[in-house]
Amino acid sequence: MTWSAAARGAHQPDNTAFTQQRLPAWQPLLSASIALPLFFCAGLAFIGLGLGLFYSSNGIKELEYDYTGTAGPGGCSACALADRGRAPPPPCSCAWHFSLPELFPGPVYLYYELTNFYQNNRRYSVSRDDAQLSGLPSALRHPANECAPYQRRASGLPIAPCGAIANSLFNDSFSLWHQRRAGGPYVEVPLDRTGIAWWTDCHVKFRNPPPVNGSLALAFHGTAPPPNWPRPVYALSPDPNNTGFVNQDFVVWMRTAALPTFRKLYARIRQGNYSAGLPRGSYAVNIAYNYPVRAFGGRKLVVLSNISWMGGKNPFLGIAYLAVGSLCILVGFVMLVVYIRYQDQNDEDEDEE
Amino acid sequence: MDCSLARTLVRRYCAGEENWVDSRTIYVGHKEPPPGAEAYILQRHPDNRIVSSKYTFWNFIPKNLFEQFRRIANFYFLIIFLVQLIIDTPTSPVTSGLPLFFVITVTAIKQGYEDWLRHKADNAMNQCPVHFIQHGKLVRKQSRKLRVGDIVMVKEDETFPCDLIFLSSSRGDGTCHVTTASLDGESSHKTHYAVQDTKGFHTEEDIDGLHATIECEQPQPDLYKFVGRINVYNDRNDPVVRPLGSENLLLRGATLKNTEKIFGVAIYTGMETKMALNYQSKSQKRSAVEKSMNVFLIVYLCILISKALINTVLKYVWQSEPFRDEPWYNQKTESERQRNLVEYIFTDKTGTLTENNMEFKECCIEGHVYVPHAICNGQVLPGASGIDMIDSSPGTSAREREELFFRALCLCHTIQVKDDDDVDGPRKSPDSGKSCTYISSSPDEVALVEGIQRLGFTYLRLKDNYMEILNRENDMERFELLEILSFDSVRRRMSVIVKSATGEIYLFCKGADSSIFPRVIEGKVDQIRARVERNAVEGLRTLCVAYKRLNPEEYEGICMLLQAAKVALQDREKKLAEAYEQIEKDLVLLGATAVEDRLQEKAADTIEALQKAGIKVWVLTGDKMETAAATCYACKLFRRNTQLLELTTKKIEEQSLHDVLFELSKTVLRHSGSLTRDNFSGLSADMQDYGLIIDGAALSLIMKPREDGSCGNYRELFLEICRNCSAVLCCRMAPLQKAQIVKLIKLSKEHPITLAIGDGANDVSMILEAHVGIGVIGKEGRQAARNSDYAVPKFKHLKKMLLVHGHFYYIRISELVQYFFYKNVCFIFPQFLYQFFCGFSQQTLYDTAYLTLYNISFTSLPILLYSLMEQHVSIDTLRRDPSLYRDIAKNALLRWRVFIYWTFLGVFDALVFFFGAYFMFENTTVTSNGQIFGNWTFGTLVFTVMVFTVTLKLALDTHYWTWINHFVIWGSLLFYIVFSLLWGGIIWPFLNYQRMYYVFIQMLSSGPAWLVIILLITVSLLPDVLKKVLCRQLWPSATERVQSTCMCGHDHLPELTLLACPQSPSPWAMFQARTQNR
Repeated sequence: MTWSAAARGAHQPDNTAFTQQRLPAWQPLLSASIALPLFFCAGLAFIGLGLGLFYSSNGIKELEYDYTGTAGPGGCSACALADRGRAPPPPCSCAWHFSLPELFPGPVYLYYELTNFYQNNRRYSVSRDDAQLSGLPSALRHPANECAPYQRRASGLPIAPCGAIANSLFNDSFSLWHQRRAGGPYVEVPLDRTGIAWWTDCHVKFRNPPPVNGSLALAFHGTAPPPNWPRPVYALSPDPNNTGFVNQDFVVWMRTAALPTFRKLYARIRQGNYSAGLPRGSYAVNIAYNYPVRAFGGRKLVVLSNISWMGGKNPFLGIAYLAVGSLCILVGFVMLVVYIRYQDQNDEDEDEE
Repeated sequence: MDCSLARTLVRRYCAGEENWVDSRTIYVGHKEPPPGAEAYILQRHPDNRIVSSKYTFWNFIPKNLFEQFRRIANFYFLIIFLVQLIIDTPTSPVTSGLPLFFVITVTAIKQGYEDWLRHKADNAMNQCPVHFIQHGKLVRKQSRKLRVGDIVMVKEDETFPCDLIFLSSSRGDGTCHVTTASLDGESSHKTHYAVQDTKGFHTEEDIDGLHATIECEQPQPDLYKFVGRINVYNDRNDPVVRPLGSENLLLRGATLKNTEKIFGVAIYTGMETKMALNYQSKSQKRSAVEKSMNVFLIVYLCILISKALINTVLKYVWQSEPFRDEPWYNQKTESERQRNLVEYIFTDKTGTLTENNMEFKECCIEGHVYVPHAICNGQVLPGASGIDMIDSSPGTSAREREELFFRALCLCHTIQVKDDDDVDGPRKSPDSGKSCTYISSSPDEVALVEGIQRLGFTYLRLKDNYMEILNRENDMERFELLEILSFDSVRRRMSVIVKSATGEIYLFCKGADSSIFPRVIEGKVDQIRARVERNAVEGLRTLCVAYKRLNPEEYEGICMLLQAAKVALQDREKKLAEAYEQIEKDLVLLGATAVEDRLQEKAADTIEALQKAGIKVWVLTGDKMETAAATCYACKLFRRNTQLLELTTKKIEEQSLHDVLFELSKTVLRHSGSLTRDNFSGLSADMQDYGLIIDGAALSLIMKPREDGSCGNYRELFLEICRNCSAVLCCRMAPLQKAQIVKLIKLSKEHPITLAIGDGANDVSMILEAHVGIGVIGKEGRQAARNSDYAVPKFKHLKKMLLVHGHFYYIRISELVQYFFYKNVCFIFPQFLYQFFCGFSQQTLYDTAYLTLYNISFTSLPILLYSLMEQHVSIDTLRRDPSLYRDIAKNALLRWRVFIYWTFLGVFDALVFFFGAYFMFENTTVTSNGQIFGNWTFGTLVFTVMVFTVTLKLALDTHYWTWINHFVIWGSLLFYIVFSLLWGGIIWPFLNYQRMYYVFIQMLSSGPAWLVIILLITVSLLPDVLKKVLCRQLWPSATERVQSTCMCGHDHLPELTLLACPQSPSPWAMFQARTQNR
């Protein structure tokens, strides 16, 4: 027939294994006999892992104190009351006293925690200029539009660092004091304020503008600090390697949190006598209460925590592993029962057929 | 479609007002008619430019964009993009703009290129030179400058530049041969005839002197219909009026063959030619998958809108200060594919189930049977079954009748003889010493003439209107061909009127028994009828032959009658039919012929497989009931235990239609309970199945609306009966009735998907009506294949096409659709949940690059490859076990239950991703150096778990792992990791934010992040694994059983028992016995 003669040449697809759908293939099947051992193995592995995680999480010590909360001996409630009244609260200082009956094993980390603070709000979290923060002189003078309304001061001076995130920099400060013996003098525990931000952030992503005549202050000449800041960015810290845009407190703050309740690292305790942890005794955390939170119903906490290989105290992971592992085992047993019962039935069915 | 409808309406409206619009008048050679002639209103006609391109250079961009944005998905994204451009949004416009513009650009480039090719083809076509006659001289012009009324000269092997009326040819007899291969695929030579009065004009000067006008109908797309009239003005006489029919019309696209040159006058040009009218697009067919998908899409859009509403309301509740309203972001990709799940198959018999390779079996003359295969060298030998032969009835009148019968068969046909002097093909008639091939549109005719040749009479050729035959003594007999009353499917017969050398005029008529017997007044009707019925039972195609001797006066009358009908401009068809009716009567029956049409190979196997697959097979044929039923038995549509229900004219004559229908439905419904709950093997032996036979007349009674308004009643009852029958045979169907049946089923309340398969022109309407139309490329030309969605060479291919490829494509497309929705639910739902934790501020959870690339690259290729490669069971298994098709029947994988399962799975997974990460990040640090992660790490963690889960979910669904699947699935995951490392590893200078810098790497440096990723992936996949395993164990579908069997190594399924069982000797005899008992 003409069709077969004419059409074979023109329209027939290439006779390859791909077009003919005849590629060699592995054809696995998810049957009960495969799934059962899988479930049991996974269940056992998860339970084992879960137990490990659970115990390592339980071994982590954590102390926290809400210094905007109820009245206590440190006088922080008074500061909190003052905060409620005025928008920039009056400078106020208070203390949190606690005692450790035994060694708080190190390394110990000091965190602050804010609640009900929406750092992840979109309009808040876009309000920054990464080009400016990377030290580009042109961006320093011309902040991005996203920073508005913290782009320029009323005088027309560009704000450095611009944007809402920078403007709302957390400015409470903490110091830790140790009283070795009752009635003895308080000794200041050295706080390591470096190494609290990602290394890549404060070495690559955040950069100071090139100093003018060796002076960072001159480099920032012609810019204004954010309105809420009491001092310009180059005076954030006396340490020349930790000031300006690479100030680690600032960098930590600029990494916006995922959830409205969040912690940020304030300092590490790892120097001198305290490298192995906090020895027993009485302690006081002196707090300079500057940051207003009561206006939006937020709270501030100070947290002392040590850390294992899996980070801070987090019972979730261990419990979840245990739960899923047990579930796997349970399901495995259910399936085993089903498998045995229905296997017989299926065999009978096949016999009948 | 709407357009053509509107045009018809307009035309009809105009026709009511002014009659002239219905026809056009053409001045041949642009010469005004003599002043005395009737005045015509000149009409404007388009030039001969063919425009198949859609766009021009100027309107391409706007028109193409308009076309593309008419699709809902594109338009939706355009709106999203515009909204993002205008107002402050959480995601950059690039996120939704980039994929959209990619799609739009690629589509536009593709369409532009195709259109450019079309432009090129159009230009080539429009600029090719054409020979005109102008003032008696030959002029070359470009084809597009041709105008209606121009006289054109066409040479051999040239294509006609427009639709021409054939004026004269270089051949003396005023004929020419054309092939219409590019129009309808028929490569046979067709003969066209020049107008009688102009065929003498052989030179340019002569033709220039022609003074004539042509009236014809306005252009219409039917290739085979044309009515017109030519008025030739000769020297101040009254004009001579001649009829013009499609035999005078040379169509654009056809090619002139075997003729040196012809002259013709252009009547339809450019876009009005029949070829151009035929290229108009057909209505689009939509698949079941697409319909379900659109519903799902609407559901998701509703969910999306409600999500957006919830968020907006909550946002305003949460925040006192007014913010601008911003749309909530979503990204879904829609995909389209045409795939269908067939529930009903309507098949033609001749040429589809059977070979259409006719073989002359026997003929019966006055009760004596002649069997040509027992003939050697012109001698007739007795057949094996002791049938009367020639020698046993040597009476002279019988002898005379016998010869008349053979002559009748030799003359009564429309066969062309192709002289094969130059063709070295097989010699068809070795006896005559000269090879020739018979060409005809009907294979029956060829079989008959060839059979008669073996009985001693050879048809030689038609020459100068004389038909030449060679009789037994090798003498040439010449008959003048006076008239041909051509075949049509309504009359089901054809006739010729010839004049023998002795001057006697005969009318020979050949046709179906039902159309011949009522017109017979003489002859051994009963004997022949008995023989015909016997032959029909054996599945042979029977034709009856009759003749009538005409005296010259009668012939004159006939001529007048025919001429009157032929000249008519309006209702010519009807008038011709009436004339034929009058002429073909009072015949003398000569005999009957039987032609065997063999079943196509594996037709029975295919039908059986399709029935096992739960597909209802209906045979629709124009054949008589007995022949069709025999074929149905042979191809196992009916079995020995099938109880046949008849709904035929004969039965309706006995009882009223009402009673018959109710009786049948009672019979059927008694067993319907057992029929609906059938097991896997389908039509098992102990079950009673029913076969229904209905004929065209009964069908039209059922379809006819009642006067008392109970019109739907019978239809419902009929449908109810049909639904409970495993097989239905509709015989004596007119082409339109075939389409009617398909439509009836298509629009019944379950809205099943229908498939029609056929090979002939009479199946076209049915093929167009059904959801899926399949054309068999057969002997009856390519009309069916041209109008079909798919064309196959043989009926048996239907089995593989439906049961294997249909099954695969359905599995693939349903997974594709559901998976797309699933992965986007996984993608979007965490984003929705995050709004509750970010003050409803539309903060995005994922980075822009992730948003953009999720659907484009991270999760696109695995599902694409799945939908190309997946074979959940092997091809051979599917072919061996047709009942597997039942697992996917009725759109099983896209029903609401499945859709809801996938959606819940998506929501569950999304909850796991989000809250897993939430509890992980709540109030704690997850690194061993005490540093804290931010919101982008949170999003990246969710996204990583999501990409892995969604890809692994597909891996769980994949049953057929070729190296490409491995490459693509693991490659996608690897690509995600590599991309994330790169994306976060560099400060990208062109970005104005660096929020992803080192986020991914920092995340990977944290042990608990790894642990939580593993945990969350496991938890997300757990329910699906559980469901798969439990379902397989507790309620395995047939497919899953087969999969397990294959896995266990029992790869030797028993061969289909029914195939192996010996064919019953004569099922039809049992049917006969049963019907007689009733």
